[in-house]
Amino acid sequence: MRFEWRATWDRLRRFWRTSLRARTVAITLVLSAIAVTAIGAYISSSVRANLFESRKDQVVIETGRAAAAAQRVFDEVGRSGEAQDLESAQRAATEAIRQSVSTAPLVAVLRAPTAGGQAPIENQADFDFDTNLISDQLRAAVLDSGTSVVSWQSVATVTAAGREAPALITGAIFDVQGQDYQLYLVYDLSDVQDTLDFVQRTLLLGGMALVLLIGAVAYLVVRLVVGPVQVAAETSEKLAAGHLEERLPERGDDELATLARSFNRMADSLQRQIRQLADLSRVQQRFVSDVSHELRTPLTTIRLAGEVLYDQRDSFPPATKRTTELLHAQTDRFELLLADLLEMSRYDAGAVQLEVEPTNLVRLVDDSIEAMMPLAAERDTEIRLVAPGGYFEAEVDARRIRRVLQNLLGNAIDHGEGKPIVVYVDSNADAVAIAVRDYGVGLAPADMARVFDRFWRADPSRQRSTGGTGLGLAISQEDAIVHGGELDVWSEPGRGSCFRLTLPRHRGELIGASPLALPPDDVIDLVEEPVI
Amino acid sequence: MVVDDDTAISEMIGIILRAEGYEPEFASDGAEAIELFRTMRPDLVLLDLMLPGIDGIQVCSAIRSESGVPIIMLTAKGETADVVQGLESGADDYVVKPFNPKELVARVRTRLRPVLPETAETVAIGDLVIDVQGHEVRRGGEKIALTPLEFQLLLALAVKPQQVFTREMLLEQVWGYHYKADTRLVNVHVQRLRAKVEHDPDNPRIVTTVRGVGYRAGAVS
Repeated sequence: MRFEWRATWDRLRRFWRTSLRARTVAITLVLSAIAVTAIGAYISSSVRANLFESRKDQVVIETGRAAAAAQRVFDEVGRSGEAQDLESAQRAATEAIRQSVSTAPLVAVLRAPTAGGQAPIENQADFDFDTNLISDQLRAAVLDSGTSVVSWQSVATVTAAGREAPALITGAIFDVQGQDYQLYLVYDLSDVQDTLDFVQRTLLLGGMALVLLIGAVAYLVVRLVVGPVQVAAETSEKLAAGHLEERLPERGDDELATLARSFNRMADSLQRQIRQLADLSRVQQRFVSDVSHELRTPLTTIRLAGEVLYDQRDSFPPATKRTTELLHAQTDRFELLLADLLEMSRYDAGAVQLEVEPTNLVRLVDDSIEAMMPLAAERDTEIRLVAPGGYFEAEVDARRIRRVLQNLLGNAIDHGEGKPIVVYVDSNADAVAIAVRDYGVGLAPADMARVFDRFWRADPSRQRSTGGTGLGLAISQEDAIVHGGELDVWSEPGRGSCFRLTLPRHRGELIGASPLALPPDDVIDLVEEPVI
Repeated sequence: MVVDDDTAISEMIGIILRAEGYEPEFASDGAEAIELFRTMRPDLVLLDLMLPGIDGIQVCSAIRSESGVPIIMLTAKGETADVVQGLESGADDYVVKPFNPKELVARVRTRLRPVLPETAETVAIGDLVIDVQGHEVRRGGEKIALTPLEFQLLLALAVKPQQVFTREMLLEQVWGYHYKADTRLVNVHVQRLRAKVEHDPDNPRIVTTVRGVGYRAGAVS
C-alpha cells in the first residue's frame, strides 16, 4: 500500500513537473481561492456587523420608547393618587409598551431588588420569558443607569423547536410611585441570523463559482499560449529527427506568430545549410570516387610493371636491381598511403557504410593474431590471447575490426621491443572490448594526446616494419566511432601502452562501461597458453 | 579477353598473361567488348567496371545473358555497392586495383581450371541430378543452365550432403581463396544459384541456409 502511494506520488510529481498547463491552472486556483476566501470573509463579517448594529440601534430606541410610555402611564396614575387604579394602570402600561415596539419581544417588568416596603405593582413577565437570561452584569448596568438610558446584551435563547438562536436583551428603568422598576425586553434575532446565513451561503457559492471560473479561464489562456509552444516543441523534434520539411503554422501577428515565423526562418536556414553540406558531401564523395579510379588505374600499371621487373631483379646489374627493389617497396607504400587516404576521406565525407554481420570476436582476434604471426616472429615477439568473454556473436563489420586489430598489433610489435604482447577480449551485458597491451617503450603524456592525429608518428627515427602511413590509428578511431564504440589509449614511458577498443554488442546500442579496465590487470606472469 | 579503357593497363595485363601462356585479346569500350566477345568466344573475360559508353555492369549482364563464361571484374573501387552490383550482374569474381600480377594470374587460373571434387558420375541434390562429367544439371528431363561457377558451387554442396559449409570453406573450395576474402562473393552467387534451381527462391529447399554458420545441401527427394 505504501508502495502504491509512493508510485502515485511519483506520478503526480512527474505530472506536476512536466505539465505547465496543470501547474498554471493549479496555482491560479489556489491563489484565487485564497483571494476569494479573504474577500468573502471580509464581506461576511462587515454585513454581519452592520445587520447587528442597525438591529441593536432600533431595539435600543424601541426599549427607550417603551420605558417612556410605561413611565407616562404610571405618572398619570400617580397624579390622580388612586391606589386601586394601579392594577389597571399596569395593564395600560403593558399595552403602551406593546404598542411602542415594532416586533414582538418578550417583556418582563421587575421590581428593583433594592426597593423596600410594599410593592405598588406585582412583578410581571411573559410566560416564555426566562429570567435567567438577565445576567448580573446587565441587571447591575440597568439599576445603575438613570431613566431613559437603555442597556443591552447579546444572549442565546432556545426556541420552541429546540434550536439555539441569537437574541438581544435590553433593559431600562422606570419609576412607579417612587419605586424603581426594571423593564426587560428579549428580541429574537433569528430573522437577522437567517439573513446573514443567506448572505454567507450566497457568498460561498458565488466564491466557489468564481474560483472555478477563474480556473477555467486560466486553463483556456494557458492552452492558447502553451498549445503553440507544444506544437513548436513537436516540430523541433521532427526537425531534429531529420524531417527538414516540417514548419510551424503562422497565424496572425501576435507574439506566438512571431515565434512561429522566427522558428520557420531558422528551419529554412538550417535546411539550406544542411542541403549545402549534403551537396558538398556528395561532391566530396564523387571526388573521392573519381580520384580513386583515376589514381588507381595508373598505379595498377606501375605496380604490375614493377612486379614484373621485381621478379626478374636477379638478372639485373646490382644498381638496377636495387632500383627495382626500391621501386617495388615504394609502390607498395604509395598504394597503402593511397588506400588510407581514400578511407580517411570517405570518413570525412560521411560516406562510410558498415557491413555488420554476427561475428565471433574471439575467433576474429585469433585470426588477426595469426595473420600477424610472421611479423611477430621476425621481431621475436610473443603474442598471447586472454579471453574471459566475448565468445558470443557481436554485430560488427568484421573487415573493419580486423583492420583495427592488425593496425594495433602492428603498432604493438613495432613498439614492443620484443616483449610479449597480450590481447584481451572480454564482454559485459551491452559491450565487448578488445585491448592490445604491449610492454615496450610507451608514450609520453604529451604524445598520448596526439596519438590519434593524422600523420603523427611516435618517433620518426624508429624503424617501422609495418610501413605505416601515419593514418592507421586515425582510421582505427573512425572505425570504432562508426560502430558506435570508442578507441582509447593508456600509456606510460617505459611501461608500455594499451589500446582498448570497446564496441556495442548490438548495432545502434549505447555502450556503458567498458568490460575491460584500461590497462587490464596484468596477466603476464600467469601461465597462459600462448597462441603460437 | 581483357576489357579496359586504359591501354597501358591492358597492355601490361597482356604482358603478364602472355608470360603465363595465355593469349589475350583486347577491347577498350563496352560496345567493342560485346562485339569482340561474340566473334572470338573467349575462355575468360577480364572486365573493367568503369568503361566509356556501355559500362562494365551492362557488358557483364550482356555477356552473362548469352554465356556462362567466367567473368572477373577489375574494379577500381572497394566500394560495396559496385562490387555487389557487379557480382549480381553475373561476374564470378573480382580483383581490386591495384592488384599484383600473381594475384591476377591466380584468379584467372582458378576460374579456367576449376578443381572439381572427385566423385561419382552423378550426384543428387534435392530433386536435381548433377551429371559431373557432362557438366549438366537436370530436374526430371529438364536441363538447368548453370554457369561453371554455379555448377561448381552446387556440386561442392551436393558431394557432401551432411556437411555444413561456412562461407569461408566455400570461398576456398570454389574460388580458391586461401585467405580471408569477401564473403559477399558466396552470398551473391548462392542467391543467383537459388534463382535458377529453387522452386521458390524465398523458401530454398536445395541450397539451405544454416543460420549463423553457412549453407548445406537440401535432402534428396
